[in-house]
Amino acid sequence: MSAALLSVTGAVKHFGGVQALRGVDFDLKAGEIHALLGENGAGKSTLMNLLSGVYTPDEGEIRIDGEPVTFSNPREAQAAGIATIFQELDLVPSLDVAANLFLGRELMRAGGMLDVPAMRREAKRRLEAIELAIDPARLVADLSIGQRQVVAIVKALSYASRVLIMDEPTAALTVGEVERLFDIMRKLAASGVGIVYISHRLEEVPDIADRVTVMRDGRIAGITEPHTPQAELVRLLVGRPLDELYPERAKKAGKTLLSLKDASFRLARESAGWQPPSGISLEVKEGEIVGLAGIMGAGRTELLSALYGTGLAGRWQGEVAVDGRPVKLDSISAARKAGIAFVTDDRRGSGLMLRMAVGLNLVMSVIRRISPAGLMSPRRQAEAVRQSFGQFDIRPKNPDIAVGALSGGNQQKVVLAKEILGNPRLLLLDEPTRGVDVGAKGEIYARLRALAAQGLGILVASSEMPELIGLCDRIVVLRQGRNVAEFNGGVDEHTVLAAANGREA
Amino acid sequence: MSDQKISVAASPAASSPAATAAKHRVDPLAIIVRFQSLIGLVLVAIGGVIFSPRRHGEILFLNPDNIANIVRAVSETGIIAIGMTFVIITAGIDLSVGAVLGLSAVVTATMMISGGFGLISTIIAVLAMGIVFGVVQGTISTRFRLEPFIVTLAGLQAARGLALIVSGNQYINISYGDGPGLAPPVFAVLGERLFDNTVPVATIVFIIFAALATLVLNTTRFGRYVYAVGGNERAARISGVPVSMVKISVYAITGFASALAGIVHAGQFNFGSANDGLGYELTAIAAVVIGGTSLFGGAGSMVGTVAGTIMLGALANILQLNNITPATQLLATAAIIVLAAVLQSLVRRREGLGR
Ligand SMILES: Nc1ncnc2c1ncn2[C@@H]1O[C@H](COP(=O)(O)OP(=O)(O)OP(=O)(O)O)[C@@H](O)[C@H]1O
Ligand SMILES: [Mg+2]
Repeated sequence: MSAALLSVTGAVKHFGGVQALRGVDFDLKAGEIHALLGENGAGKSTLMNLLSGVYTPDEGEIRIDGEPVTFSNPREAQAAGIATIFQELDLVPSLDVAANLFLGRELMRAGGMLDVPAMRREAKRRLEAIELAIDPARLVADLSIGQRQVVAIVKALSYASRVLIMDEPTAALTVGEVERLFDIMRKLAASGVGIVYISHRLEEVPDIADRVTVMRDGRIAGITEPHTPQAELVRLLVGRPLDELYPERAKKAGKTLLSLKDASFRLARESAGWQPPSGISLEVKEGEIVGLAGIMGAGRTELLSALYGTGLAGRWQGEVAVDGRPVKLDSISAARKAGIAFVTDDRRGSGLMLRMAVGLNLVMSVIRRISPAGLMSPRRQAEAVRQSFGQFDIRPKNPDIAVGALSGGNQQKVVLAKEILGNPRLLLLDEPTRGVDVGAKGEIYARLRALAAQGLGILVASSEMPELIGLCDRIVVLRQGRNVAEFNGGVDEHTVLAAANGREA
Repeated sequence: MSDQKISVAASPAASSPAATAAKHRVDPLAIIVRFQSLIGLVLVAIGGVIFSPRRHGEILFLNPDNIANIVRAVSETGIIAIGMTFVIITAGIDLSVGAVLGLSAVVTATMMISGGFGLISTIIAVLAMGIVFGVVQGTISTRFRLEPFIVTLAGLQAARGLALIVSGNQYINISYGDGPGLAPPVFAVLGERLFDNTVPVATIVFIIFAALATLVLNTTRFGRYVYAVGGNERAARISGVPVSMVKISVYAITGFASALAGIVHAGQFNFGSANDGLGYELTAIAAVVIGGTSLFGGAGSMVGTVAGTIMLGALANILQLNNITPATQLLATAAIIVLAAVLQSLVRRREGLGR
């Protein structure tokens, strides 16, 4: 057994009154892919932030090759060869892809000028190495969440000389992209880099990990084999066995809520290579959960946003009807009037007010309801907040802390809870469980099913195929902005994938 | 700090799921920052007592006339800072306020003296002009997606230009009496004191305006929208907040506040001049920031702004009483602004929210 490349002993970290780490020992060997699992709020990101110099530990020691080190900022950690892909991506939206990839390491011409062409060329080469055609000259702000994840990965890969920390890198990636990422990780590990890999997708673990550490409540709950059966992993993770993840499907659907016939729309900001969708036809009935499947760039997010009236250039074309009546879903207010709510996949960019309290975020879309005659009613607000906390297991159970101080998965629960408070008739969900742990996922699925049983219609896009297959009554497959196939829930994964990729099953 | 401040508004909600809440210790630094401007005000007052010159054993700083002077002197910038607080919470800025004050003072004087308008119609017209000015700036900024910094910088120039045109670059003196070309004597009350000659009328206007603004910010739907827009504009829009309406409204509020301050100014000094209110925008912004409102938006409080305003006034007063030069005054103000900002950023960092 080789000596640890990187080790942490007795790590303790407080945030104000919250104890995020309560004495954690962790180690990583050279050439190892070490999976780090744990519930939302277990302390995974905090531990990784200590290793990457974002936070300094209150107590405890970090060693590289047995030598104690202290990092007072991320740059020092990078200089020691530790690269990190953060859970909440640290890209600059207003800069282009190439500028982001080279941020802090810019290529220069003689005379101190930026060598933009060289950076673009090199950026293109690196992106192509992971087989993704993203134009290096595009602004990060214009990329989808999945594409941003890829950019963050490529950025970190380029300076991971000894250690690579990946905090939920696959959360918005679909199967094919995940496979390519795994190939790269294996190559990197073979060259001696140690990799810490955080994920809530337990099915990935046996595929990629050499060793598994499970955290719970700021401590290490166990270290185990990657081939440990999933049920056993789940027990370690949550501290108890879990029931069936997916609830029973609807017996019957009600009348048609949303119907698109031969519909199309244009985006306000179209990038090269984007094909404007045309001829979309789909239906969502009351009480039904309909899934949207597709590879990255298939137009899932764009379709959902367009149905909510955002990001459009001009108007919807074709037939768009809600409750059998034609509607113009050209603005957010029109969509909301039609009873539509939207949960964005970009929780930090457009979902949350990070510095504001959890409670204030929760009531954001029902401000009208809780302010009769224009005056805020603290009682109604408290009721609404209590309702959300009752429906979703947001931890810590304290509506007064800033939402930005919650763990990633808990932030996601807030985004979801907030839209459900508004009692919509049709709920558009984009990656609703991104970063949510298995236990909480089960609860979210059950909650969505219960809402559907009361007549809500749900249209959900997810890059997690098992989620779509397990949760949805029907799955619509998008490719290049149009619906190319439709399956009933419970269909096998390969059939859906084949349709998404445009291959024969 | 600011987050906590907002949480206060939400605290009724807090009581519910309290099982784990008991475990949350409160950060002392956060408390200091939450009340930073009040604490600062107390410290300045104590300093004032210590360093005050004395005459026959009397502490001049605490002399009722002196106190009345302090609160009178800050009332104009105070009114403006109140309006500015709304704008800054939406993550905006309004540089035109001082110039709009000047324009309003000039128009007030001109309407009454050469225009022959009555007091009421003059006041209504000037306040309406302030609102319109703000609405125009807000509309340009939202409609064309321009930075409020640029739009209100242009607004500043425009208002000064208009004031020069209206006044013909002259002082418009206000004389009192009945009949054409004279202002009604009651207008002069703005320069006087009430309640046994103790409380300046200008200060009363300031306090009433502050109280109203506090209510609007803390208890109305509109107030919540203001925080939401500054907290995350995109998220606010997706949640159905009428973002453009809110933004236009906050500039209407600063326009109104500047016009009100302009009327008070004219009444106190009995003239209007195109150069009135020079540099007030910076004093107002300083008061807001010292009061704990974040320039990043989404966080801040009215009480803080009021305390910040009075604190700056008290500080200037002590220095004047000791015959310390304006140069030193500027340096002292600079130090306080930096200190307030550093405190806020320390708390943010401690909470792991800012780096
Ligand atoms: N900046 C912060 N300020 C206050 N508390 C924080 C901060 N960051 C994390 N915490 C708290 O520390 C605990 C651990 O959070 P952490 O982000 O490490 O969880 P995690 O295991 O990464 O969860 P997830 O799977 O949801 O990403 C949580 O209770 C969280 O609320
Ligand atoms: Mg995390």
